[in-house]
Amino acid sequence: MTTSLPPTTAAIRAPLSTIDAAPSPWKVVVRVASTVWSNGKARIGLVMLAVFILLAIFAPLIAPYGARETGFERSADGSAAHWLGTTAAGEDVLSQLLYGAQISIFVGLVAGLLSTIIAVLIGLSWGYVRGFGADVINFVVNLFLVIPGLPLMIVIAAYLSGGGIGMIIVVVVITGWAWGARVLRSQTQSLRSRDFVTAAVFSGERPFRIVFREILPNMTSLIVGNFFGAATAAILAEAGLEFLGLGDSTVVSWGTMLFWAQNSNALLTGQWALLFAPGLCIALLATSLTLINFGVDGISNPRLREGTKK
Amino acid sequence: MTPTPFSQTPPAANTTLLEVHDLSVHYGYGAGATKAVQNVSFRLAHGEFVGLVGESGSGKSTLGFALTGLSKPPAHIEKGRILFGGKDIASLDAEQLREQRHGGIAMVLQSGMNALNPVRSIRNHFVDIFRAHGHVERSRWTARATELIGKVELTPQVLDRFPGELSGGMRQRVSIALALSLEPELMVFDEPTTALDVLVQHAVMNTIIELQKSENFTAILISHDLGIVLESAQRVMVMHEGRIVEDAPARQILQNPQAPYTRMLLSHYADPRAEVVELPGFADRQQRKAEGASRTEAATHTPTVSPRTRRTDQHAMVVENVSKIYPAPRRGEAPVRAVDNVSFTLEPGAALALVGASGSGKSTIAKLITAVEKPTSGSIRFGDLDVGKLNRRHFRRLHRDVQMVFQDPYSALNPLHTVEYALTRPVINFTGLTGTDARRRVLELLDIVGLSPVEEFAAKLPHQLSGGQRQRVVIARALASDPQVIIADEPVSMLDVSLRAGVLALLEDLREQWGVSLLYITHDLLSARVVTDNIMVLNGGAVVERGVTADVLQNPQDDYTIRLLDAIPNPRKVVA
Repeated sequence: MTTSLPPTTAAIRAPLSTIDAAPSPWKVVVRVASTVWSNGKARIGLVMLAVFILLAIFAPLIAPYGARETGFERSADGSAAHWLGTTAAGEDVLSQLLYGAQISIFVGLVAGLLSTIIAVLIGLSWGYVRGFGADVINFVVNLFLVIPGLPLMIVIAAYLSGGGIGMIIVVVVITGWAWGARVLRSQTQSLRSRDFVTAAVFSGERPFRIVFREILPNMTSLIVGNFFGAATAAILAEAGLEFLGLGDSTVVSWGTMLFWAQNSNALLTGQWALLFAPGLCIALLATSLTLINFGVDGISNPRLREGTKK
Repeated sequence: MTPTPFSQTPPAANTTLLEVHDLSVHYGYGAGATKAVQNVSFRLAHGEFVGLVGESGSGKSTLGFALTGLSKPPAHIEKGRILFGGKDIASLDAEQLREQRHGGIAMVLQSGMNALNPVRSIRNHFVDIFRAHGHVERSRWTARATELIGKVELTPQVLDRFPGELSGGMRQRVSIALALSLEPELMVFDEPTTALDVLVQHAVMNTIIELQKSENFTAILISHDLGIVLESAQRVMVMHEGRIVEDAPARQILQNPQAPYTRMLLSHYADPRAEVVELPGFADRQQRKAEGASRTEAATHTPTVSPRTRRTDQHAMVVENVSKIYPAPRRGEAPVRAVDNVSFTLEPGAALALVGASGSGKSTIAKLITAVEKPTSGSIRFGDLDVGKLNRRHFRRLHRDVQMVFQDPYSALNPLHTVEYALTRPVINFTGLTGTDARRRVLELLDIVGLSPVEEFAAKLPHQLSGGQRQRVVIARALASDPQVIIADEPVSMLDVSLRAGVLALLEDLREQWGVSLLYITHDLLSARVVTDNIMVLNGGAVVERGVTADVLQNPQDDYTIRLLDAIPNPRKVVA
C-alpha cells in the first residue's frame, strides 16, 4: 500500500474548489431525538408525557370549570356535570386535576433541570480536578448525601414557609443534586484517563473545553437519565411536601388535592376519586419519565444502535 | 526452540471428529444481514492441530463461536450443519449443550484472563466445574486441580491465589487449565495470546503446543497472526470475508501458497535480523538511504526544496539521566522504578526506536517527554523549554512541536465528534486559522494522510471508519500543529497486518518529506527495523543496548534483546 503525498505547497495554491460550511450541530439534536424515539418503551413514555403536557397547557380550554370555582354541591359523587365529583369545599375535581398538572409538571421540569445543572457543574469539575479542590467538594457532597432527605426537606420547607412553588423548587434542588453529582464524577474520572482526552490535551485544548466538549457529550445518557430521575423525584417530593401541608395550600396542585382529600377524610366518605385521581396522575407522570430513560441509554453509545464490526 | 510440529506423523486414529458442512452464520435477518461466515465446509480428524487465520472481520471468531454452540443473537446459523461426533451441535438445547461440555468442546477466549471471577480463588474456579459436571470425586478435587495446574506449568500455590494476584499470562494459563478440566476432545483457542506481552505470548504458545501433544486433544487455533499459526499448527485454514480461501498443510502454505490473499499475508513477514529487510511498500532501508542520497544530490540542482526543510529553528529533544519512580503500589512494597537513568538525544529529522516488552518503561518515557508526567530526577530539554518542569499552562508551547500518535485508534478518537471536529480543534488552537481557512487546512491534512474523498471522510464519525482509517485520522491530528517531533506509541499494534505497512509507510513518508523526527515506541522489532535508523532496547526501565537498528538486530549483544528477537513469530523460522 502506498500513499501518494501531494506537495503541500501545491495543495495550498490550488484550494479545494468547494469548501462548504461545517455540518450543523442541529444534526446531533436530530440524531439524539431519533435514537430515543426508536426505542419502543421510550416512545410510550414520550407520548404519555406529551399528553400530560398538552393537558396542562390547554387546561383553561379543556377544564369544564375554574380550578378554584366553588359553589357546587359539596362532596358530590361523579355525575355528568362533575365527572370525578366535587371536593368538600365544593370544587370540581376534574378541573382541579387538569390545572394541577400545570404545577406538577412545571415543578418537576424546572427542579429537575436546575438540580441536573448543579450536578453536572459540580460532578464534572470534581471529576476532572485533582488535589485539594477535589477534597473540599468531596466533603460538601458527602455532607448532603448523609443527611436524610425527607427530614431535611421538611426542615428547609418549614424555615422558608410561605414561599409557594418557588420555595418547593429550591428545597427539591438543594436536597436533590448530590447523588447525581457523585454519579457524574465517577464517570468523569473513568473518561478522564481515556486516550481521546489525552489527545485533546495534545490538541491544545483548555481544561474547561476538555470537560465540557470532550467528556460531557460522552455522558449525555447519564445526564439526561439524571434529569429524568431528578424530575421524577421532584414531582414526588413536591406532592409529598404539599401533602404534608408544607407548601402553599391555596395553590391547586396534585399534592394539595391529596392534602385536602386527606383533610376531609375522602376515603371514609367513599370519595375514592379524590385520592385516586391525583395519585394515579403522579404515578403515570413518573412512569412516563422512567420509560423515556430506557431510550436515553442508546445516545452516548453509537454502537448500541448501529451494528459495527469488532 | 519449538520442535517443528508438523514433522510428526499424523495420529494413527485418523477418524473424523468434527465435520462442518456448508455452514453460513449471519448477524441479523433478511437483506440487511451481515454474512459473517459463508458456505464453510471442512472436517477435522482426531488429534489434529488446525490453525484458522484471518484478519479482523473475516468471520473467524464467529465460526469459532458457532462450533462451540456459543453463538449469541443476533448471530445465528443460517444454514449448514456442524457434526461433532455424529451429532448436530445446532440442534442441541442449552442443557444438552452444557452436558456435552464434559468430554466435548472447550473454548479458551482471547480475554480468557478476564473471564475469571475476581472474588473467587483459583481453587474455587476448579471446584465449580467439578461440582457442575460431577466427573471428579470430591476426595480427588485437590489432586485433580493440582494436576491440571501443573499441566499449564504453574505451581500448586496458585490454587489459593485470587485472579487479581496473577499476571496476565498466568491467568490465561489458568483459563486453559479450566478448559482442560473437562477433558475435552476439541479445544478451540480464540486468539489465546493476543492480549499478552511478546515474551509471555511465546511461552504460553509453547505450553499450548506441548499440551496438545501430551493430552492429544484436537485443537483449533484462531489467530490473526499467520506467524503464530504456522509455528504451531499442522494444517492451516485461511479465512477471508467469511470464506475459507485456502486449506492446506502448514508447510505447503508456507512454501507454495495458492490463494492471493495468503500470499499477501505472507509477504508481511520478514526476519528483522536478515541482511536485507523488505516489506510491501518498503524497500530495504539501507538501499533506500543510498537512493535517497543520490536523489538529494540531484535535488540540489533543481530549486524544489519543500518549505519545511528550510526551517531553521529545529530543535533536538535532549534527555539526560532521567529517572521516574512511582510510589509503591501497596504498603510495604518497594517503589516502582519505571525509568532508570535514561539519556538520549533525538536529533531533528532522526528516527529512533524505543523497544522493550511491556513494563520496560517505554511508554513512561513517552509520557515524560510530552510532559504528561514529571521526571523524578534528570532533565529533558527541547529548545529552550525545560520539559521536565513544564507548567500545565505552557503545554501548548510544547505540543505545538511535540505530538503523539496513540496506540489504540479505537480509543484515541472521541466517538461523538466527527473527523472534522477532531482535526479542526488543533488547527484552531495552534495555527490561529479560523473559518474557511481552518477547514481548508483540515481537508488538506486528510489528503496528506491519504483519506480521500476528503469531504466525505471529514463528515464521518469514528465508528464509521476502519482501524487503519482511524489511525490515519490520529496521525493527521498529530500533524495539524506542524510539529517537529512525533512520538508514535505502538501505532500499528492494534491493526491488521495488511494495514500496518500502509500506516508505517505514511509515517516514513511524513518524516522524509517534512523533516519531522520520529520516536517510535514498539515491541515489534520488524517494524522498528523498517522505519528507524537507531534503536534503544529497554529492560526494567534501563537501556540495555543501543545503536544503529540494523546492527543491533543483526548482532544483538544483550540477552534480553536476543530473547525479544526469538519471541517473534516467524513462519520462515519453521522451515529453516
